[in-house]
Amino acid sequence: MNGIRVLLVAAPLLAAAAPAAAQQADVRARLEARGLPAQLSERVAALAASAAEHGVPAGPLADKAIEGWAKHVPDARILTAVRAFADRMAVAADAVRAGGLGSPPGSVVAAAAEAMGGGLGADQVRAIVRASPSPVAAGPGLSVVAALTAQGLASSQAVAIVVGAMHSRRSVADLLDLPSVARALRDQGLSNTQVGQHILDGDGNGRDGGRGGEHPMGGIPRGDDGGGHDRASGPPQLTRSLVRGS
Amino acid sequence: MTGADGFSREAQRYLDGEPAGELEPGERAVAERLVAEARAYGVRLRPMPAALDDAVMEAVRRRAPAGARGPVPWLLAPRTVRVRPIWFPVLAAAAALVLWLAPRRPAPVPSVAVAAAGVPDTVFVHFELAAPRARSVSVAGSFNGWRTDALAMTRGPGGVWSVTAPLAVGEHHYDFVVDGTHWVPDPTAHRQVDDGFGGRNSVIVVGPKGLVRS
Amino acid sequence: MLSGDVEAYRLLVERYRSEFARYAQAAVGDADAAQDAMQEAFIRAFDALETCREPDRFGAWFFRILTNQCRNVVARRRARVPLDDVDVAGADRADASLERGELAEALDAALARLTPEQREAFVMKHVEGRSYEEMASLLGVGVDALKMRVHRARDAMRAMMGAMR
Repeated sequence: MNGIRVLLVAAPLLAAAAPAAAQQADVRARLEARGLPAQLSERVAALAASAAEHGVPAGPLADKAIEGWAKHVPDARILTAVRAFADRMAVAADAVRAGGLGSPPGSVVAAAAEAMGGGLGADQVRAIVRASPSPVAAGPGLSVVAALTAQGLASSQAVAIVVGAMHSRRSVADLLDLPSVARALRDQGLSNTQVGQHILDGDGNGRDGGRGGEHPMGGIPRGDDGGGHDRASGPPQLTRSLVRGS
Repeated sequence: MTGADGFSREAQRYLDGEPAGELEPGERAVAERLVAEARAYGVRLRPMPAALDDAVMEAVRRRAPAGARGPVPWLLAPRTVRVRPIWFPVLAAAAALVLWLAPRRPAPVPSVAVAAAGVPDTVFVHFELAAPRARSVSVAGSFNGWRTDALAMTRGPGGVWSVTAPLAVGEHHYDFVVDGTHWVPDPTAHRQVDDGFGGRNSVIVVGPKGLVRS
Repeated sequence: MLSGDVEAYRLLVERYRSEFARYAQAAVGDADAAQDAMQEAFIRAFDALETCREPDRFGAWFFRILTNQCRNVVARRRARVPLDDVDVAGADRADASLERGELAEALDAALARLTPEQREAFVMKHVEGRSYEEMASLLGVGVDALKMRVHRARDAMRAMMGAMR
């Protein structure tokens, strides 16, 4: 056992940084397995590797290349798009780091890039990152802000809603339901401002839900054909219904 | 447990990210070292090849001949829920909003024996497209490697194509693919974004409650 | 494509193969054997789909099946190569420059000496970096019980991997 004994004490810390060469090979393997030609795969992998030095995650870049390939986009165009996406993510990574996340998870950087592509400012990204109870919650928060603004809410309102939800320790799952909630409200006739205000007001009031700790289940009409769960126990709850244009 | 064979109680708390008192001399370095080595080990593990998916699918296809009942319907439509008419008036925006907004008091600390509440990881998303003249429609997106033949939709009455798919909770990018070649965005999605290739992708953000469609 | 229905399963396979690949490899200690376990787990899960009572927690349900398969694979491998015979980065290599592969072997060998529960808990906590809440959700075990397993695993790993001085 002496061999092992020495390792923990004396060995230089193995691979403090991610083994870049191995990751590059992984990206390449993944692309080739998906059918991309060797040369294209190699170039995308190299792009991803150099982007990684700026904290840009490789996964979304590989996804973008795969998407281009599936859409029969010419190789040169794919590379241009991957490079552009990497650049956007580098900017987003800076904003996320400024919000306090030293080495942000790839998912958060990608979400920030998408949100900024939708018009969100760096300062707003920072605000969301700062409000997040955990690093991984920032990603969903950013996605939700982007989806809310795309549906017409003012970005300041959307940010306030998400930040408020995070401060009141909503679960990530609840956060992710927000775009659908907003959609439901709009479909019922509320204006964008009203939607935002309703959600904002409700969270601020601390109104007692009366059930101390339980998740409100169901409640949001879903237009699908009955998917959902019949929760046998618990308080009376709304069941999902087939709502078509009603 | 203290001494050369284990970590002190404070060291364990420290490693769990909890407030801890003083660690024994030298213990902090050992603790951090163990954690760092384990993390480095994890980082070096390589992804599993996608070929594994092919092997699995080959095996399960043999088990589910076309038209078979049994487990297969589960994939597309979990148990249906009976609509209770008494709730219809309540399905108004305000009520839905109140339910969502009901702030949760933190639950009393559960006893040791109680397992943590399960968090949903999968949501069944229903996709729909009216395309009466299409010969085939599928969904291609970030969740299936943008494969145009991986999630076929079924034609329903009125030429409305649909499919329900088990997706991860979170954000997804996708398009419909009509007749294998036409990439069509989903007008009911939460967002449309530039795909970087001159086209548009649809974006949905789904929580466990699923998607609303008008 | 024979039936659109079956193809939907691929969505789950692709996602969870990615998500649990590292767990399987660390729990089994060998990449090929881990792939066997993963593949078998997906097939068994498909066969047992009807018994999954919470479809919106497929991931957690599948993870239990995967854990069982990993244990099976480990047990089968152990039957072929008894633990004591495993070359644990032998003493004569202690002075050699410490290469990546050797340390990985050492960690693998140390992990192999943990009980299955301890190994799984240590892998989830420190190799994958999951929170106790995540682990509880995936394993269906309470946080306190999980902490105990992780603490014991850490103690055992420390004992095996040497003390500082």
